[in-house]
Amino acid sequence: MNSVRRVDVWTWAMVLGFAVIAVLLVWPLWSIVAASFIDNRTGVFTLNNYVSVMTRPLYQTALINSLIVSLGGMAGALALGVPLAILTTRYQIVGRDLIGTLSVLALVSPPFIGAYAWIMMLGQNGWMRHGLAAIGIELPSIYGFFGILLVFSLKFFPFVYLMTASSLNTINASVEEAAEGLGAGTIRRLFTVTLPLVLPALSSAALLVFVLSLADFGTPSIVGGRVRVLATTAYNLFTNEMGGNPGLASTTSMVLIVISLVVVALQRWAVRRRNVSGSLLRRPQPRVLKPFASVMAHLVCYAIVLAASLPSLVVVYTSLRKTSGPVFQPGFGIESYTRVMHEVPHVIANSFSYSTVSVMMIVILGTLIGYVLARRDSPLAGTLDSALMIPYIVPGVVMGVGFVVTFNVKPLEITGTATILVLMLMIRRLPYSVRSSASILKQIKGSIEEAAISLGASPAQAFLKVTLPLMLPGIIAGALMSFITAINELSSSLILYVGRTMTMPVRIYLSVLDGEFGTAAALSTILLVTSGAAVYAVFRVTGRKESAFV
Amino acid sequence: MARVDLRHIEKGYPGLKALDDVDLVIESGEFFTLLGPSGCGKTTLLRTIAGFIQHDSGEVLVAGERIDQMPAHKRNMGMVYQDYAIFPHLSVADNVAFGLKTRGRPKPEIAERVQRALELVQLGNHGKRLPHELSGGQQQRVALARAMVISPQILLMDEPLSNLDAKLRVELREDIRDLQRSLAITTIYVTHDQEEALAISDRICVMQSGRVHQVASPQKIYAEPATLFVASFIGAMNIMPVGSQEGALAAADLPERLRARGPMTLAIRPEDVIVGQSTNGNALAVEGAVEKVTFAGREAYAHVRCANGLHLQAHLYRPSAGQLALVGESVRLRLPLDRLHAFDAADGKRVELPA
Repeated sequence: MNSVRRVDVWTWAMVLGFAVIAVLLVWPLWSIVAASFIDNRTGVFTLNNYVSVMTRPLYQTALINSLIVSLGGMAGALALGVPLAILTTRYQIVGRDLIGTLSVLALVSPPFIGAYAWIMMLGQNGWMRHGLAAIGIELPSIYGFFGILLVFSLKFFPFVYLMTASSLNTINASVEEAAEGLGAGTIRRLFTVTLPLVLPALSSAALLVFVLSLADFGTPSIVGGRVRVLATTAYNLFTNEMGGNPGLASTTSMVLIVISLVVVALQRWAVRRRNVSGSLLRRPQPRVLKPFASVMAHLVCYAIVLAASLPSLVVVYTSLRKTSGPVFQPGFGIESYTRVMHEVPHVIANSFSYSTVSVMMIVILGTLIGYVLARRDSPLAGTLDSALMIPYIVPGVVMGVGFVVTFNVKPLEITGTATILVLMLMIRRLPYSVRSSASILKQIKGSIEEAAISLGASPAQAFLKVTLPLMLPGIIAGALMSFITAINELSSSLILYVGRTMTMPVRIYLSVLDGEFGTAAALSTILLVTSGAAVYAVFRVTGRKESAFV
Repeated sequence: MARVDLRHIEKGYPGLKALDDVDLVIESGEFFTLLGPSGCGKTTLLRTIAGFIQHDSGEVLVAGERIDQMPAHKRNMGMVYQDYAIFPHLSVADNVAFGLKTRGRPKPEIAERVQRALELVQLGNHGKRLPHELSGGQQQRVALARAMVISPQILLMDEPLSNLDAKLRVELREDIRDLQRSLAITTIYVTHDQEEALAISDRICVMQSGRVHQVASPQKIYAEPATLFVASFIGAMNIMPVGSQEGALAAADLPERLRARGPMTLAIRPEDVIVGQSTNGNALAVEGAVEKVTFAGREAYAHVRCANGLHLQAHLYRPSAGQLALVGESVRLRLPLDRLHAFDAADGKRVELPA
């Protein structure tokens, strides 16, 4: 669509968008790029940091470990998500909504909660390890690759499941029937027709899982044991105050960014070549399975979602155990809650207030910028869109490092303040909000707004009276999801917090490291309940659409 | 109600001339149609008038006043869209009231004018409904009422009937025409459907590749197409290049006075082609074999392959059984000279044949 080029409200929205991205995204990233090429002591240009990262065994191992956990997490998520998607969309499974809801809940609960819940279950004294050992099953130590991959698989499979299922649901039923009519059996049909058709969604989900696994800091940090990955290495290099090495931390960050970039580029390229969207005339109907197959299918589906829900259940249960100090006692009690209320009330308040403020900024900025992207087809809008890809590929640890090295000098000396945490939460989630606003807008015909203008409404009035009301359900759902990610954010907050700006995820992380599982569980339960309530609200607003979460 | 002057409008996109020196006058109260294939520039021109596209050069005047630098929302034009563009979150009455509310009219006046507009489009008791409860045709009626209720200077319609099924299309097009006549609103109507254009318009402007080919009444456009493009786009037409190439009419078959004119393309409408013997002596005669006869009820079309691969269609009004069984037979076709259209082979412009 082509619109009259005049300075109007949307020109200012674009200017604002560029300003925000320049200051909060491009500048911090530039600082990292610059730092990676500068010698820490002499301050002159050098390639030594890159030489070190490429040649020293410590970094080589971290790189290899990162690739192993990312690929492994991806494989695990696919192994769980794809069968679940096929079974629930093609066959009669009782309680499909429950499966969807449990998957979404697994998706929105922070990975570090899963990590320490699994330690409680499968650690040296874990009840599940003992239980399994009693029936002769010996598991490898939870600390290390086993733990990381277990957590990643169970945490990230919902992306694969939800994206694949929603794609499976948009395949015209006649396509698969035609394959059947041509003599293709169930398995053959699956591999020659169904899976190729959902490949774009499947590959997007797989690569998303790869990028998330690569960026995740909390999981390898908690259950990694001696397995160090790039994200934890960068964090350690940076926070190691005395021997802190910003040059090497930045270079490690650059390696993370480059890998993500390559993977995202690959994903876009793969999806571009396969545009197989057709018109949905008839939705596929789930078939009824024979009794034995049906029992097996139900077992598989429920085993997956229950395993994914287990950490949350364990956390809630743990939070309600009787404690005395950090030591658990027999029976139930609310000591953990009274402790967090007494000791760290400001942490809870911080989490809620930072998230709320950042979400308000996200909603306003995201809606305005999303509008510009969807409705203004100009090279500038394209640039804005590309710049907004950055947070997708930059891990939280890296953004945190970038913020600290950028905003510790005047005029923007905000390190150690609540502002820097709020801005970080805002910029990390903003692109998702922009994308979702833009996609909602693309479903609202441009002619509707034009009609309002031709009836005498100014562009701003037309937006407020016609477009905004139509966007509202989508905006609210997007805001709730931003809130969920904001309140659960660990990695960047861990770099930016100081004592009085501590948030719940940071506190949980530190408690877990200190072995204070009771307070960690109480805070985690507060996070889980908050996230669950937000999920419920999204369901109410969108009319139960699990796909809204991916 | 106002006259519209379009003066030398130009609009280019990279690698594309969307509007090429469009110079038109639309009279006050006229039903004026922009007709052409997709990509011809008709919608670009309409949206330029509405103010949603900024043209590169030229002037748009409404009632003698230049409006092309005015923002779209101040132009006081009613617009009707192909996809209805009904506000889905507002009731039918609120949709229609929208333009009056932005103009700050008093409430009682709004209520009264909305009701009157809805009655005009036969939706008098649908005001409380929500758009999704209405059919496509009804939604377009709401859009029509919404555009007209503001008493626009000009009513702009962008393929308003294209999303409706055939029967509804004819019905609504008659209603639009009647309404426009009774309110005498200057109306600019965009369509790619030539039959619709012929049925509804006072005058038609045929466009192609951003250029105006002909502006004239429907009758004139049909009877005297100004260019080969208009001839081929409006109605059915047998196009006959003259020459020795495949599918052409041999120059030797033409009377001397036609040959003298130089290279040209001849054309004739199927209904002007006479099958079999005729008393009309002043006609070209061509022989050919009937390949097939397409029966369409009241009429039929005989497809005839002539010498040199020339393909002609002849219209058979109320075809007899004998005519329908002509397939495979050789026939003699007569092309009356006074029914032939001639176009310059180089620029496609109409050439008047000497009598």
